[in-house]
Amino acid sequence: MLSPAHQTRILGILTDLTAIPSAEIQPGDRLSEDLGMDSVTRMELVSMLAEQFDLDIELEEAVAVEDVRGILALAEARLGHG
Amino acid sequence: MPEALILGAGGFLGLHALDALRALGEEPRCGRRARSNVLGLRSRKARMASADLDDEASLVEAMRGCDRVLHLAGHYPRTSLDPATATRTGLEQSRRVLNAAAAAGVQRLVYVSSTATVAPNPEGLSDERHSYPSPPSHGLYHALKWQMERLFLDEQRFEVRVACPSGCLGPGDLRVGTSALLIALARGMDPPHPDGTVALVDARDVGQGLARLLLAERAPKRLILSAENHRLHELLCSVAPRYGVPEPSPALSAAEAIARADEEEARSVRENRRPALSREIVDLVVHGQPLSARLAEEQLGLRWTPLSQTLDALDAWARRLSLIPSAKDQPPCSAPPTRPASSASSPT
Repeated sequence: MLSPAHQTRILGILTDLTAIPSAEIQPGDRLSEDLGMDSVTRMELVSMLAEQFDLDIELEEAVAVEDVRGILALAEARLGHG
Repeated sequence: MPEALILGAGGFLGLHALDALRALGEEPRCGRRARSNVLGLRSRKARMASADLDDEASLVEAMRGCDRVLHLAGHYPRTSLDPATATRTGLEQSRRVLNAAAAAGVQRLVYVSSTATVAPNPEGLSDERHSYPSPPSHGLYHALKWQMERLFLDEQRFEVRVACPSGCLGPGDLRVGTSALLIALARGMDPPHPDGTVALVDARDVGQGLARLLLAERAPKRLILSAENHRLHELLCSVAPRYGVPEPSPALSAAEAIARADEEEARSVRENRRPALSREIVDLVVHGQPLSARLAEEQLGLRWTPLSQTLDALDAWARRLSLIPSAKDQPPCSAPPTRPASSASSPT
């Protein structure tokens, strides 16, 4: 599991990009259909994740992220369980 | 020591320009907005600097100490639905870039425009001598690109060179611009399309052209970067076997395509998705013309990658990102060579 602090920061990025309050964002929300993100904003999301946590993320991984659970899983895989 | 700055470095052409500049021994500074995709810049360990076209002070700061600027971040409206706002944004951002460059003491700026600004030549291929005397009335994209290019060409405070790349294809087109119709075809979507002349070029060649234009001591003021001229419908039919899909339905008439694109763009805004057919692509195809890029060959020593090789690279990249089905999921076929309707030059 991601630490609560990491989860909060990732939800904050989502809020910055979508203007949807963190408390209303659910793990099962789809980035496009539920959060209204287009393909460009989805790439910005992964890019901001990479920058804020200083992660190296490949494009293939970025385009594969489809929902909030996916972005949390990507972060967890890189950050571990801290 | 003076260095170069790339505005729009993290984009499709920006990354190819960065690679080309590095191959020539340069290590440019890469401008980036606070909210932008910098995955490509991060993976290249590029040096980044904040540069926002809506914030002149940030541009001056990013350009400080740079004697050359490569500007690939010119406004590209997502739709043609609001011409007044798009025109105002494009022109204001252009003025900020020019004023910032003057304030920072930049000596040379290369602005990346579009072949939408190249006027028809009734006698054959169009080249750098062919310009519209006033904004063409083909649609927002043509008119905006003309007005922005005019601002840069009129600049007197420092040297400006203008590059006009045609439809860019190749690996890295994450926003799926020129390649949108090819990607849709490869996915078996039978994309609606008009017919007309499309001039195409490999994005990697454009990157090389921009790098050389930025660094060359002497170069033309305005330069076309384009490799091959094709008829769009014929091209889509010729590449269908490459993806194991049927040939596309017949082309729409110009009027049908414009109406369809306008409808699609309005719906795309309502539904927050990409239009299946965008107005600027329709306008570019309907008003497209065969181009000659002989000047770029002669002045900068550029050579153009044949389209078949460009498509090979595009396909490999798009399959890796699952933008199109992997080759094993498609029936085997032998892709015929794509023969240009008329060559801008002889591909080597």
